[in-house]
Amino acid sequence: MKSFLLLKDFFRKNAWRYALGVLWLILVNSAQLIIPYLLGYITDQIETGQVATADLWRFSGYILAIAAVIVVSRYFWRIYIMGTARMLEFHLRDMLFSHLQKLSANFYNEHKTGDLMAHATNDVNAVRMALGLGIIMLTDSIFLTVATVIIMTQVIDIRLTALALLPLPFMAVLVTFAGRLIHDRFKAVQATFSDMTDRVQENLSGIRVIKTFVQEDSEVERFDQVAQRLVFKNMDLVKVWGLFMPLVQFISGLSYLVVLGYGGILVIEGSITLGAFVAFNTYLAMLIWPMMALGWVINVLQRGASSMERLKVLLETEPEVVDGPDVQDVDRLKGELEIRNLDFSYPDGTAVLEDINIKLPRGNTLAIIGRTGSGKSTLANLLLRLYDPPSGRIFIDGIDINQIPLEVLRRDIGYVPQDAFLFSTTLHENIAFADDSYAREQVEETAKLAQIYDNIVEFPRKFDTLSGERGVTLSGGQKQRMTIARALIKNPALLILDDCLSAVDTGTEEQILKGLRRFMSGRSSIIISHRVSTVQDADEIMVMDQGRIIEQGTHEELLKRDGLYRQLHHKQQLEKLIAEDRG
Amino acid sequence: MNEEYNYHEEEALGKGYDGRLMKRLLLYARPYWLIILACIILLLFVTATELARPYLIKIAIDDYITPGPLVVWEPGDEPQEGIEYRGQVYVPRHRLTEEYPGQAKAQLLTYEGDFYLVDGYMEGTDYSVQRDGERLVLDSEAGLFAATPLADEDYRAFRGPDRDALIRLALIYLAIIALGFGLNYLQIYFLHRTGQQIIFNIRHQVFSHLQRLSLRFFDTNPVGRLVTRVTNDTEALDQMFTGVVVYLFKDIFMLLGIVIVMLQLNTRLALVSFTLMPLVIIATIVFRIKARGAYREVRVRLARINATLAENITGMRTVHIFHQMKKKYREFNEINHAHYRASFRELKIFAVFRPFIDLVYFLALALLIWYGGGNVIQGLIPFGVLYAFIQYIEMFFRPINDMAEKYNIMQSAMASSERIFQLLDTPVDIKSPQQPVPAEIEGEIEFCNVWFAYNPGEWVLRDVSFTIEKGQTVAFVGATGAGKTSIINLISRLYDIQKGQILIDGVDIKEMDLDHLRKNVAVVLQDVFMFSGTIADNIRLNSDIDDQQIQHIAEVVDAHRFISRLPRAYESEVKERGATMSAGQRQLLAFARALAFEPKILILDEATANIDTETEQVIQKAMNTISRGRTTLVVAHRLSTIQSADKIIVMHKGKVREIGSHQELLARGGYYYNLYQLQYKEQETG
Repeated sequence: MKSFLLLKDFFRKNAWRYALGVLWLILVNSAQLIIPYLLGYITDQIETGQVATADLWRFSGYILAIAAVIVVSRYFWRIYIMGTARMLEFHLRDMLFSHLQKLSANFYNEHKTGDLMAHATNDVNAVRMALGLGIIMLTDSIFLTVATVIIMTQVIDIRLTALALLPLPFMAVLVTFAGRLIHDRFKAVQATFSDMTDRVQENLSGIRVIKTFVQEDSEVERFDQVAQRLVFKNMDLVKVWGLFMPLVQFISGLSYLVVLGYGGILVIEGSITLGAFVAFNTYLAMLIWPMMALGWVINVLQRGASSMERLKVLLETEPEVVDGPDVQDVDRLKGELEIRNLDFSYPDGTAVLEDINIKLPRGNTLAIIGRTGSGKSTLANLLLRLYDPPSGRIFIDGIDINQIPLEVLRRDIGYVPQDAFLFSTTLHENIAFADDSYAREQVEETAKLAQIYDNIVEFPRKFDTLSGERGVTLSGGQKQRMTIARALIKNPALLILDDCLSAVDTGTEEQILKGLRRFMSGRSSIIISHRVSTVQDADEIMVMDQGRIIEQGTHEELLKRDGLYRQLHHKQQLEKLIAEDRG
Repeated sequence: MNEEYNYHEEEALGKGYDGRLMKRLLLYARPYWLIILACIILLLFVTATELARPYLIKIAIDDYITPGPLVVWEPGDEPQEGIEYRGQVYVPRHRLTEEYPGQAKAQLLTYEGDFYLVDGYMEGTDYSVQRDGERLVLDSEAGLFAATPLADEDYRAFRGPDRDALIRLALIYLAIIALGFGLNYLQIYFLHRTGQQIIFNIRHQVFSHLQRLSLRFFDTNPVGRLVTRVTNDTEALDQMFTGVVVYLFKDIFMLLGIVIVMLQLNTRLALVSFTLMPLVIIATIVFRIKARGAYREVRVRLARINATLAENITGMRTVHIFHQMKKKYREFNEINHAHYRASFRELKIFAVFRPFIDLVYFLALALLIWYGGGNVIQGLIPFGVLYAFIQYIEMFFRPINDMAEKYNIMQSAMASSERIFQLLDTPVDIKSPQQPVPAEIEGEIEFCNVWFAYNPGEWVLRDVSFTIEKGQTVAFVGATGAGKTSIINLISRLYDIQKGQILIDGVDIKEMDLDHLRKNVAVVLQDVFMFSGTIADNIRLNSDIDDQQIQHIAEVVDAHRFISRLPRAYESEVKERGATMSAGQRQLLAFARALAFEPKILILDEATANIDTETEQVIQKAMNTISRGRTTLVVAHRLSTIQSADKIIVMHKGKVREIGSHQELLARGGYYYNLYQLQYKEQETG
């Protein structure tokens, strides 16, 4: 329950809403409690012949007056309690989102999107239920139970009350117990359901093998097995769950039985009036819901608490990459980079970079080439501080990178990643991602620079085309050029192209690079690639292998040496030869 | 990533009711019509037991609790046992089975706390007891009657029969609730069992249909979405079958039952009670329209939230790189807030509708008190009838209150069924011919001017022709995208070609039985797909090859050595789709799998992944073993493979460029020569 402290700001601000809601709810309940009494009173008045038609007008008037109170209060408790719960849902989701934004790359390596989504949907829902319906049920069950029992014993008859209410505690126990049993069996159903989902997922992912080995029929059989198991698990659940409502009705029926038999005899003997008998019946009807609620509320609150517990773990995960206390006042980067003796391992212990030394004077182009897994992209990640590098190793404009404000660092470095991720917004918005204020002309110019302009204007809605599922699906190469445009428009002091042209053929790549040459002249740039053709024009080329720089120099220098660079070059020459062969 | 979580899905919401879809859905329920009918009949009884309580209480009040007429006899003449008092026998009328119009009547009455025995009977409650000289008289609209004051014990004696009758009535009630309990449980059980069976059948059908669709279909439909069809969409239908359709009957029975009982109890009072019904109907219609829009809005907004959230989590790296947290936060906040507003609107509609229905109920109650109460006073109806009416009116409003929930379930079920039917209506484009040519497959393969494209117009194979003799081993080489893999796909008819012919032993594969063809063509893919289950399961797949045979096969392909070193050998579970095994090991398992089916034609797509020399040798040996006596096609990535092939087919841009043996082609010094330098030369030293 302590985990709810996380919401204390919300409660401080909105406790009054809940308080007001509970007050309205109590008002409804109180007004409701008058109705049975009134019915009893009217009964007795009629039965003893003390009523004239005019009195009936009066009674109807009373009922309508009470109704007015009930109707108005019902509107307000719903608005105040349920509405505040909705507000809480909003608030919690908002907290979650802004916290998720603070967490760094490491966190996302360790947490699956699906699990995080489950937190944001299921857990937030469970908390909302606990602090909406939960509060209502709690109020109802406490207030109505106590008040009804008091009225029953004080106004009607204590023996009758005791006897009639005897079955009801069993109901609360039953609801609590069955609720738990139902919850367990429901979990079993869900587990089987996810088994079935896995089965289908696996089958469809391996559909090729299934088809080539003619396993369709046997696969259907296997699917039927798990689907059948799901049927059984569901039936296990139904066996308990299906018992629940009928049993609740039966137990409340037993209470009515007592009232009918014993209460009736009391009227016959003259111990209570017929009016009391009528009132008692009506009060009993009012008690059944709170008794059921008493059982449910325990489950609802428990579930809410454990969901809040899970959310708490998430919300209290410390962000790793933040501006430290020693952050310096930097306005703009100029783009001079120096790396001294950098070693780096990921938090899980795998060493990735060893003894890296780089000096990139302002305005120069540095190229890094190497096979997959040689550590090239890790280097780029460190320059953007997606992971924190060790202090005193990386300097931009002579300042330790850990002391540059994150916002400045990431604003002035233009980075084009390997995996081209686009948002499902318009193409214009995707290019102008860094700043909404870029004008259409600027966006168009940049698109031309990145050689994506011609593709975009072919779409019917041009730059207003939506990307992704609800719009167009761009090819890998088109996406990569979009991400290039997205980085160029920022006019960065340092441009990093991280193997970002892997999805286009060599010819297109050359064309794009040629277009970029003017943009890059006089600007610090780092080009990371596994293709020689991409890097050959750089001022300096570094060859990385297994986290180390093994060769360094210009294209010509490196070709003279019989090293990895020359091997790569030779191989790629042949590739080109084959590709250009016109059959 | 995004495809795995289909959060856009829910944006499309169907109508609340679609006759065409419903008709088709009900077809699935048809085989179970008898049991569904039984459930409906059970529901009829359950409803009856629920309606019984107010009626029983009404009887209790009017016949037993409120003293009824007593029929007076001389002692010894009474047809039933009665109460003897001052030389007369008084028999309560509820004990008598017939009317005795000739007999005198008497009645017990209470006035200002005292009990009286009155000679004669009158209805109504407007009376008084007055002293008239020596005698006491009851003065009422019906006239004057003689009254005798009763002592408490005499009064109690008079009420004895009423008490006995009341206890009998209570026992009847006990029987009724017990019966209701049993029937209700039976109904719920059978209804859900039927629902589950229906959903099972639909799932089975959807899954089976998916198995028959061609790869072309799977190329264009993300797996995640198809999984949702089989699992979640069908689940929504279950909710509709069990939660709405049958309960609709219950609601109707309930409402009809109440109307009938009320009319039967007192027609005039019933008609008066119903005067407010138009208000309920109008409110319900207005509510349905409003709630539908609001519900839809909330669902759409929630889907937006989930889609945005999923996108942000997947793209968090990009957000960080551009340091656009604030902007993305604003966007999310806006979407989140829009959802809040929408859900608040929905809440408001409920907050108005529910109390409004309450208001109508209270109006009905006030009407009953005024009009019904008046009738009671005038003696037109007994009080119990009024009581029953008050109870029934309350029950009448219950189904109306949870109508909204049912409507929501219907809406999502309609959307789901629409999607399911769309899938089921996708035609199967590759299937066996009506009358397949019966042929034992020997293994001679011929491609005659084959043209093939995955997407119309984008030819992947152009006019490809070649012949492979039975038992030959042929290597396909070429750059990426040259069309090698497509050839593999075509032989087992995973795709159909657009032009030309593929012949096996001179028979067009389109005229062969599809299963027969595929059973004779084993394909080993580069990316070996491992299923969850044991190693043995992965070799035998679903066939009934026994463990001994499995081991024998594994020995042949030299997989036995590494398998026997696993903790549970052949019974070891394959974890994470085989990610814990090396590429070489997976390849060997795939060989074993292929061999287990004793195919006439073997097709291998060699793994490009780096494999150490030792494994390489093992694989090579295994390949030589399994290709013996079989026509073998290999998409070659290893030098050893092309060197030992009978024939090499060089592909380039969808065309056959060169055909010949390794030595012949090298000597020619053409395209193959360059390719060899690039792809295979390095391996010479390795």
